[in-house]
Amino acid sequence: MKNGFLVFLASLIALGGSWCGFVLAPVLQLGGGKQTTILNSTDLYPVGRPGMANQGLQVYRANGCAACHTEQIQQSGVTCDVVLTSAGKSPLAVTNAISSLKLNNIDKVAADAAVDAITAAGGKAEIHIIATGPDITRGWGRRRSVVEDFLYDDPVQLGSLRIGPDLADVGTSRPDANWQLVHLFAPQSVVTDSAMPPFRYLFHVQRINGEPSPDALVFPKGFGPRAGYEVVPTPQAQELVAYLLSLHTDVPLHDAPFTQPLVVSKP
Amino acid sequence: MSDELKSSTPPTPDTEPVAARSPVPIWIIVLTLTQLFLGMVYFDHHSGWFNSQVYGPYASSEELESYQPKSGEAAMLARGKARYDQVCGLCHGLNGEGKPGQAPPFAGSEWVNTQGIQRFTSIPLGGLSGQLVVKGQTWSLSMPAMGAAMSDADLADVLTYIRNSWGNKGSPVTAADVKAIRAKLGAHPQPLTGESLKALPE
Repeated sequence: MKNGFLVFLASLIALGGSWCGFVLAPVLQLGGGKQTTILNSTDLYPVGRPGMANQGLQVYRANGCAACHTEQIQQSGVTCDVVLTSAGKSPLAVTNAISSLKLNNIDKVAADAAVDAITAAGGKAEIHIIATGPDITRGWGRRRSVVEDFLYDDPVQLGSLRIGPDLADVGTSRPDANWQLVHLFAPQSVVTDSAMPPFRYLFHVQRINGEPSPDALVFPKGFGPRAGYEVVPTPQAQELVAYLLSLHTDVPLHDAPFTQPLVVSKP
Repeated sequence: MSDELKSSTPPTPDTEPVAARSPVPIWIIVLTLTQLFLGMVYFDHHSGWFNSQVYGPYASSEELESYQPKSGEAAMLARGKARYDQVCGLCHGLNGEGKPGQAPPFAGSEWVNTQGIQRFTSIPLGGLSGQLVVKGQTWSLSMPAMGAAMSDADLADVLTYIRNSWGNKGSPVTAADVKAIRAKLGAHPQPLTGESLKALPE
């Protein structure tokens, strides 16, 4: 072949270049990710998944969940809200100070200026930091995914298609184990328009002999097996649900900050 | 047929046309390298100079830093709790309950729930030894000056946390307060005793 060496060299450069871009550069940039602390706290993040949830990751992988679900929340912006926490001794002065200011959906510089104006008038205010983006509007998470979220996943189940919703924070938005099990057994019983296929082979339908099983699924009205029968999950289903419930990205980190709303305890 | 075509010599069948090598114009090389360089600079600048801690939508670590929720009493209390659990909680208890025979409680203590803050702030700055009555019980104390090495802001966070936790109600302590009290305490004989503490204004 004429110019054989040149062809070899050109393909080496082309493949080596893309290897550098797609493998080497990300490893150099993000490969050093390590455990960190939750913002304004000494609690470590992430803590490893419990053993059952780790098993569930393999069930998730084996059933191809990542073909339709992603685990990566995107964030396109960040905004601030200024929240008045105390009107101080002269509420009128504070009212005058904030009447001309925009307090919601502003950037950090404007928020700092607003807080300064309120403080100068004798009141007190806090800045709430809110991550924004289509994924966050859909309620899939409170902030973007960062490298720490995936530290203990092997392999990482990023996914690329979103036929179903993103699951990075599903343990926070759907914390009910029974809901998850019923959803796996009969998705349309809890989400009417769901496109998800039922995963019935992860369950046993069995006749109730004497006492019903404590693990039996509790179905919404109008669904479920016929009288005298019950649906119990296999160990795989329980592991998968343990994994789903362990998916949490609901804590603020230094590299993805947001303000936790104060939890108001109900009387 | 035109004359032009007629006059052109047809290629002789036994020789193949050959393209001669010619050098790439130098301006194309310069333009390509300049574009590569500018593209790299743009890429770096918009990815936080490859800092692994900077993700979109933040463009730089400075911008990310400015978005850390720091202001407000909630953040102050959270920072104070972190520091308290590390430094103070060992003896005084994670819930301010104290340790019998060693460290008096904070929860409901008359030395914590005070109007002024000078006495309360002086204790961690100067240390305390000797007898002190807390909640009707006499304690024999030897507390080292645990707060002397802390920064003004850190100690202010911890003291504010103590004064607003476990049922305590007290005004916040600011870093400026700590700085002033630290300066005042400089010449005072240390560690403090129960008597010299009472001699200080509340």
